[in-house]
Amino acid sequence: MKNIYQPLEATLEDIIVETSAIKTFVFRPKANFEFKTGQFIELTLPGIGEAPFTPSSDPNVKDRLEVTIMKAGRVTSLLHGLNKGISVGIRGPYGRGYPLDEFAGKDILIIGGGVGLAPLRSLLFSLFARIDRFNKVILRYGARTSADIVYKDSLPEWARRKKTDILITVDVGDPSWPGNVGLVTTTLKDLPIDLNKAVAIVCGPPIMMKFVTLKILDLGFKPQDIYLSMEKNMSCGLGKCGHCRIGKYYTCKDGPVFTYAALKDIHDIWD
Amino acid sequence: MFKIYYIETAQFSLFFQTLKDNYRVFAPLVKDPAGQEVDYFYQSVCGDATFIFNPYRLVEPLKSFFTPALEKVAEYFNPGLALTETPKTIIFGVKNCDLIGHKIQDFVFLEGVEVDTSYRLKRENTILISSDCTDFKAVCHCLAWEIQPYPEAGFDLNLSPLNDGYIVEVGSNKGEELIGKYPGYFLPVKETQLAARQIKRGNLIDRLRRHLLPQDLVSKDIVQKLVRDGYNLDTWKQFMLTCVECGGCNFICDTCHCFLLADKKEEKQNTKLRLWDACLYANYARVAGGANPLKSRTQRLRFRYTKKFDFFIDNLGMPACCGCGRCIEVCPGKIDIREVLKDLAKKLQS
Repeated sequence: MKNIYQPLEATLEDIIVETSAIKTFVFRPKANFEFKTGQFIELTLPGIGEAPFTPSSDPNVKDRLEVTIMKAGRVTSLLHGLNKGISVGIRGPYGRGYPLDEFAGKDILIIGGGVGLAPLRSLLFSLFARIDRFNKVILRYGARTSADIVYKDSLPEWARRKKTDILITVDVGDPSWPGNVGLVTTTLKDLPIDLNKAVAIVCGPPIMMKFVTLKILDLGFKPQDIYLSMEKNMSCGLGKCGHCRIGKYYTCKDGPVFTYAALKDIHDIWD
Repeated sequence: MFKIYYIETAQFSLFFQTLKDNYRVFAPLVKDPAGQEVDYFYQSVCGDATFIFNPYRLVEPLKSFFTPALEKVAEYFNPGLALTETPKTIIFGVKNCDLIGHKIQDFVFLEGVEVDTSYRLKRENTILISSDCTDFKAVCHCLAWEIQPYPEAGFDLNLSPLNDGYIVEVGSNKGEELIGKYPGYFLPVKETQLAARQIKRGNLIDRLRRHLLPQDLVSKDIVQKLVRDGYNLDTWKQFMLTCVECGGCNFICDTCHCFLLADKKEEKQNTKLRLWDACLYANYARVAGGANPLKSRTQRLRFRYTKKFDFFIDNLGMPACCGCGRCIEVCPGKIDIREVLKDLAKKLQS
């Protein structure tokens, strides 16, 4: 009989330091683990606690799972102190991810902020794997400073891929940073996209998602073409524990990816 | 159609005594006459405890049998805890408000993306023996939500007390099977007995109506609009002022289902626990890093009402309130769900 609360054991195989506060953890689950890009998992620190994360790895890889985690609360701080070899638990995958089929033939504008690039990395892998199905991929990524940029090694490689246009910006510049300075909203002018067949995907802190959404609505994106990753307290992941409710939805079950059209008439969605 | 039987009082006592040989039996055995109203509590039946008929609902919500306040739900990674058949259980004393409220629990744990197997096993192995209300508490307001003070569905057996026994209405195959095991106790029901039940039910409804009429409660068909249109009213702030964030209203509510999963190490075993949670608690919606979409008590009080009267009407077609009034009795801040809704209605009319 299936126990929906039972985690699958996974071994922490590798740890990649992304920034001073962000690490990517590579797990090897005891059984193959499948997920769709944008779906999330509940990661259990044995005997300590559980927290929700969206994998940042390629969904086509079944025997490894990567999760990029910022030190933010109790469980994530303890995670950051772990060494290789330890066992963790995984439940999931949960929720609805990015509807890739609906992106076919379209210009895909991806806007990420901070560690919000983690789920988008998984999305990028999925798009790159079938890039011929999409018109183009445009990534606009904002970090607080150049030291806060994640996936520093991968970004230049992604930028060289066909049909791909990447621009990185930092809120606060420094002499070592040769690139763009300014909030990510400032990088959204004169985008090379056809609004009639384009979607926008936004993932980052709530305040960033709010202003990016307002900006791209202003640019002419339709609410149903804007996909947002909502952050809520998700304890069970199964639409049962109640915490992640937004209006008539549960973030864990009906999201975590929502179109802005689904959310726009609900009060206080950015809080 | 399921059958309807009759059982005489003396036979019923024997039936009740016999059941505990084969089942775990819970019944309203304990009375607490301390207050103005007598309160009834569930207790496990043992020895020669005699059956007490509770005229109205018990203090505890029915959910406590299916999702206890604290329960170990998994052991990992060297699992010793397997999902097992729960002991066969019979619960007496259930009222219609409990059955209606329990539809919410069933919806949460039996439907949706995944079935909670442990809940399903408990549900399958539990026989609910409900009964008509013959009286009501001051806070009872089922009729305002168009819920009758006698069960119509959702029970396995229902008892309607008459002067010298009970009408026993069967509501499920489980109920029919139970009667099949003890056939000697039950008689075919007579038309006159059914007519007597009808009169008793009608009388109670009349009394309850007279009790509720002066309260001028809001009706089921407008309540969703009230909480939607009243989102920005000062009602929430006004009623929040006496909220002490005890979570009592959540825990005692038969429709509130929120829980937290927590992890614990017990000797060498890792365990996952499920604990009731309360949306009135300050940290209910807090996320890592400290952001909290429900920072204020005002927001949390409103969240409770929008969950009950907006979310559940959208998702299940019914409000998540059965009019049992448990939250009114339990609240140390005297926050009264009836008054909150009336205040919204009053302010939206003016």
